[in-house]
Amino acid sequence: MANKRSNTPADKGNRISRRGFIGASVVGGATTVLAPAALAGSSEISDKNQPKSTPPSEQKMEREVGSSVPPKPAHTVRRAASDLMVQVLRDLEIEYVALNPGSSFEGLQESLINYGDKANSMPEVISALHEGSAVDMAHGYGRSEGKPMCALIQGTVGLQNGSMAIYQAFHGQTPLIVLAGNDEHNFLKVHTGKDIAALVRPFTKWDAQPKTLEQTLLALQEAYRQTITPPCAPVLVVLDSEIQKQEAGDLQVPVYSPPKISGISQQQADSIAQNLILANNPRISVGRLRTPEGINNAVELAELVAASVQTSATTGPMSFPQRHPLVGPGSNNSYDYHLGLEKAAAQVSITGPNLKSLIERDVAGVRFGWKEDPTLRRGPKPETLLSADAEASIPLIVSAVKEQLKANIRKSIAERLQASTKENHVFRMKSLRQAIEKKRPGWNDTPVSLARMYAELWPLIKDLDWCLASPTHFSGRHHRELWDHDKPYSYLGQFPAAALGYGLGSSTGAALAARDRDRIVINIQADGDFNYMPGSIWSAAHHKLPMLIIMHNNRAWHMELMYVQYMAGVRGRGTDRAHIGTTFRDPYINFAKIAEGYGMKSEGPISDPNQMVAALKRGINAVRNGEPYLIDVLTQPR
Amino acid sequence: MIKILISTVLIYMVSSLPATVLRAAPATPGTISGNADKGEALYYNHGCYACHGYNGIGKHNIANDVSGIMMSEAVYLIFLRARSELNPPLPTQRMPHYSKTSLPDHEALDIYAHIRTFKDTPPEAESNATMQAIINSAQSQAPQ
Repeated sequence: MANKRSNTPADKGNRISRRGFIGASVVGGATTVLAPAALAGSSEISDKNQPKSTPPSEQKMEREVGSSVPPKPAHTVRRAASDLMVQVLRDLEIEYVALNPGSSFEGLQESLINYGDKANSMPEVISALHEGSAVDMAHGYGRSEGKPMCALIQGTVGLQNGSMAIYQAFHGQTPLIVLAGNDEHNFLKVHTGKDIAALVRPFTKWDAQPKTLEQTLLALQEAYRQTITPPCAPVLVVLDSEIQKQEAGDLQVPVYSPPKISGISQQQADSIAQNLILANNPRISVGRLRTPEGINNAVELAELVAASVQTSATTGPMSFPQRHPLVGPGSNNSYDYHLGLEKAAAQVSITGPNLKSLIERDVAGVRFGWKEDPTLRRGPKPETLLSADAEASIPLIVSAVKEQLKANIRKSIAERLQASTKENHVFRMKSLRQAIEKKRPGWNDTPVSLARMYAELWPLIKDLDWCLASPTHFSGRHHRELWDHDKPYSYLGQFPAAALGYGLGSSTGAALAARDRDRIVINIQADGDFNYMPGSIWSAAHHKLPMLIIMHNNRAWHMELMYVQYMAGVRGRGTDRAHIGTTFRDPYINFAKIAEGYGMKSEGPISDPNQMVAALKRGINAVRNGEPYLIDVLTQPR
Repeated sequence: MIKILISTVLIYMVSSLPATVLRAAPATPGTISGNADKGEALYYNHGCYACHGYNGIGKHNIANDVSGIMMSEAVYLIFLRARSELNPPLPTQRMPHYSKTSLPDHEALDIYAHIRTFKDTPPEAESNATMQAIINSAQSQAPQ
């Protein structure tokens, strides 16, 4: 797959002459060191800058509808402040900025596409048709890679459009950076506010509204530190439109220092290591870690002590490889020492801070009804709960194990490894045969059986580097037993806030990550979810993202249909009107034509399973050649 | 009253049996008095497909099932009415229950007739290339 990170042909072919979007107002003396208070959240704004309640002038309204140009700059800027902002993002290796254009960040946008020798690369601008799509893309990318990309959106209006996607990413505990332009000086007052971050503060981890260029550069770096530090969650930096257009002068980009993420103590690590070594049958349960490096360390630990492993790789990203020989029940299930890494376990669980630690940001007292500790919601109650980041703790345990391992112990560990590996494979084959028996019914049905859809996909992708990016709860989750989830990004998990409108945008973001990594993305796309923000189809086509979309087209918000059926049944009033408000009938939706309209290759609707198999092969070939592809498949409801 | 009691006990006995036991029971298809064509439309309009699939295979499979609840029209009707008419204080989240008002007997029997047309004939795993490919792929990862 060719590297396409530089300007796409579409971008190059449509270049327009640069307009003088350099700001008129130069705020001098941008040398103030960013005060901690300013980074902590809503910063004070002087009265003279507060938005006035007067309606927008005719001239400003004209600019909004495109019949007017921005104010004429007072003078030419030699070194644009927003160039430095881009340099900070570049130094942080932010690969992409997904944006829906606004009128408060033209300074930054111009720098993104024109600054430096490798303009529009690291980060590359990704065109999104809706702010929610931009944030969802960042969400999918973050889940796939364990690091953030940016979503750049416009003031109060863009932030509100993007707020649902931010809420979803918050519950996904996913690192991403939202940049919101804010123009308090020249533009529509309804797009501005004294503290626009307040709109999303209860479901972001951190925000800042810097007042100078230097503060802005520091805030971008702090945003990065905050979002990758557990609990990982979206962060927001409000970017003043005029600061972006300033003269940077001789100001230099500050040196970035990474966050210090603390794990358990050395004493605790020594104790865990000793217990793992002395156990006759140790077990490790691994939940969602933060980065691929964390997974590698977990694998090393499990192999060192030959512990059988329980993984979360089939329910979400960044967990232990599902088909590692140690994954399974082991040679027997009488475990005498059970360690949990971001997961419940009988003896010791190491779990990092969760969203509960951010509750004080809900200053309005909404008190969203989310669970306080999802990590420990299921599974045994641990004898010891260590509140520390598991990923940061594993290297300490590994070192302690290596130090304590004696030769006689090594022999018994090697024997356990052999026995466990053998038994795990027997267990796997037995489970697989049982699973296939359950997938057989309805194999030849029309519309297509969802179990067959997943089954037919596997032989086509098993030798490729793939990522199943879409939530699969509604389509039966048949991949769990049939596929091998061995990469950090094999499966990106369910809707974190159980809210629709997420799958298409987040899969597009995962495809961004996949594009330059010789990887393909599979998106088994629920039809109801698709209709919220279908514009990501165009983004995927425009940026040539390797995403195969297979529609799970059951022509309904099916879960809600069943809810209404149940209620009608309980009340004895019949179910023959349960389709009202829950189904897509009269007319049916043709998703292949929607995709075609957005410029994506597509086919369907297909209801014959044999035709579907042929279409899947065409689709895989297309995405392997760097073209997204949509197959509209009429499916069984579940 | 006795009839209600007996019916309720019967339906709970039937519906509480494990699916494997029900399927292992001797197939004793009873009378089919309804109209399967009309039943097909009713099956769709009442949204039976939502859980049972368009062909009887779905979240809860009912194709090929001539035992248990589907063993006869009488048992099927008792199941449909059980919680809506016979014992309304016992709602369930497993399946809506239907009173005669919401689904008259003749319509219920049309649906029954349609359900009884469902015949699922999936391939055996051993003779299916896709299933074999999945099994072989897993088998190839056996420890040496």
